[in-house]
Amino acid sequence: MENKKFKIIKKKEILKLLESLKKEYSIFVPIEDNGDARFSEFKSGQDIFWDYRNTKISPKEILFPQAETLFCFGPGAEVKAEGSTPGGKDYLIFGIRPCDAQAISLLDKVFGGEDFEDPYYLERRKKTTVISLACSKPQIDCFCTSLKGKPENEEGADIILFDLGEDVLAGAVTKKGEKFIEKQNKWFKDAGQSDVDKKDKLMDLSLNKIKSQIDIQNIKEKLDNAFNDLLWNEIHQKCLGCGICTYFCPTCHCFDITDEINPKAADSKTPEGKRVRCWDSCMYPLFTLHASGHNPRPTYKERMRQRIMHKFNYCPENFKEIFCVGCGRCIRNCPVNLDLREVLVSLMSLGSLCKDKKI
Amino acid sequence: MNNPYLPIPVTIKKITIENEARDIKTFDLVFNVKKETEKFKYTCGQFAEISMLGIGEAPIGIASSPMDEDLVQFTVKKYTTGVVTSALHNLCPGDMIGIRGPYGNGFPMKDFEGSNLVIVGGGFALTTLRSLTRYILHKKNRAYFKDITVLYGARSPGELIYKSELKQWDQRDDINVHLTVDRGDKNWKGRVGLVPNVLSEIAPRSENSIVLVCGPLIMVKYTMLPLMDLGFKPEKIFFSLEMRMKCGIGKCGRCNIGPKYVCKDGPVFTYKELQGLPQEY
Repeated sequence: MENKKFKIIKKKEILKLLESLKKEYSIFVPIEDNGDARFSEFKSGQDIFWDYRNTKISPKEILFPQAETLFCFGPGAEVKAEGSTPGGKDYLIFGIRPCDAQAISLLDKVFGGEDFEDPYYLERRKKTTVISLACSKPQIDCFCTSLKGKPENEEGADIILFDLGEDVLAGAVTKKGEKFIEKQNKWFKDAGQSDVDKKDKLMDLSLNKIKSQIDIQNIKEKLDNAFNDLLWNEIHQKCLGCGICTYFCPTCHCFDITDEINPKAADSKTPEGKRVRCWDSCMYPLFTLHASGHNPRPTYKERMRQRIMHKFNYCPENFKEIFCVGCGRCIRNCPVNLDLREVLVSLMSLGSLCKDKKI
Repeated sequence: MNNPYLPIPVTIKKITIENEARDIKTFDLVFNVKKETEKFKYTCGQFAEISMLGIGEAPIGIASSPMDEDLVQFTVKKYTTGVVTSALHNLCPGDMIGIRGPYGNGFPMKDFEGSNLVIVGGGFALTTLRSLTRYILHKKNRAYFKDITVLYGARSPGELIYKSELKQWDQRDDINVHLTVDRGDKNWKGRVGLVPNVLSEIAPRSENSIVLVCGPLIMVKYTMLPLMDLGFKPEKIFFSLEMRMKCGIGKCGRCNIGPKYVCKDGPVFTYKELQGLPQEY
């Protein structure tokens, strides 16, 4: 961060800049909606919700929609794949929080990969520029600093912005970001030292607001031998299995594939409809239920264990990354206050008292 | 970018009812476009997603051998709760469906060369083992493998699948076939007994041998005991596992056993590999 060349832009100008980019990009910005924040496609005259804490629903839905058509089918029609971005325009995700930007870099690993590539996600991703907004509004249940995050984490972003009040400081993170700023040079001025100092102060303040700090340094190794631990019998007790934690999670990526039939053509011999993929959740019993009736994860216990192990053990094994960015959404939205931080702390205590607890 | 989610159209050429209960059928499929046949190169033990537009998809092991040209076979058991398998069983020859794949690691056939093979199957799980047996019995391949023993069991004589093929194998002198049923009937003159017990009786030698086991979980579990007694090493015992799947390509996140995805790291695992994984299958 130290040697970065920062640019400065007036906050008022940003709306004009986005307006000028509308032809080229589908732009997504944080807006205020019934007291909550959410990402929405930028419309003329719309204001950006600069002071938002974080959106309730994570912006992963822009790249990995809650429901998306894989292809359509119908009488006489060949199987036709859907285009991945509306109107073929590039995507500009503006003002995403650093934790959510980092989550995108994690999703990239899942949908990319050495053996199979997911064309729907990747084609959209390739066309996407991510402009993040450094976090000055950590919430009580944010714990990004216990993981890899911090209020000015750059991972996953092409450009990072800092809200200095009247002005916005911008720093390119990737080549893509550099090119973007170069191309839009007329809107920006070089930043002075006082702007950078202001930013540093802002980030110090923000960092101090993150009170929640848990030590999960070697959680992966802790969990390596924890699968059969008795603790899982306790951890899931409160859980209702509603799956809200997985829906709000910016790194959860499990999905279902189902067919939807056009009801008007339901009786026809050649069905007409579409194959859709939608978010699914490991917290649901049907997730792993075989047609034979056998279910390898029959109770809340196995499903809760899967969720934790997937994020903190299996993904570190497969992708060398913990699939949690500490955004706190699962904690804030859990109807029974099941706190992931408490679960992690209790898992970290494993092995310190007695070894080889077996069920 | 290649789109792995698009099913390739195939036509059902023939349907064979395999058992007395008439809920296991073998579907002979031919690709509508010839070029796709060449693209669909598979090895024994791999599977494909069978796709019915408007119904859904189901992962099914490939029952034909890579040596079979121009057609791909799947043997499918119908479950009343299985949406795709039920719909598939209602189809007739000439109907069109889709498949995508092949997926999974399959059996490491090259590594098996020069070994004796002990093939243990139960119920309708014989399908991928049938693919493998057809492959090694092919005149081009037989010389690469030593003694072959097949032990196959089903609940009753009527539930044994691939009956005519089993008879053909039995008539050859380069393969030992042992059939057994849990319960016989008045026409059954063969062996009666559970697969693990019969395995102890026929006691194949473990020296330079590979074992392949496919069957109901309970059978697989109890087959391990005689195999260990007979001196088979865990790294020489191969299984093919089943899991609920959607994508088949390691993205949708449901078929994992620990960090391993059955769809792409499996479905074939050695006993040694399984010993290192959580028991969640």
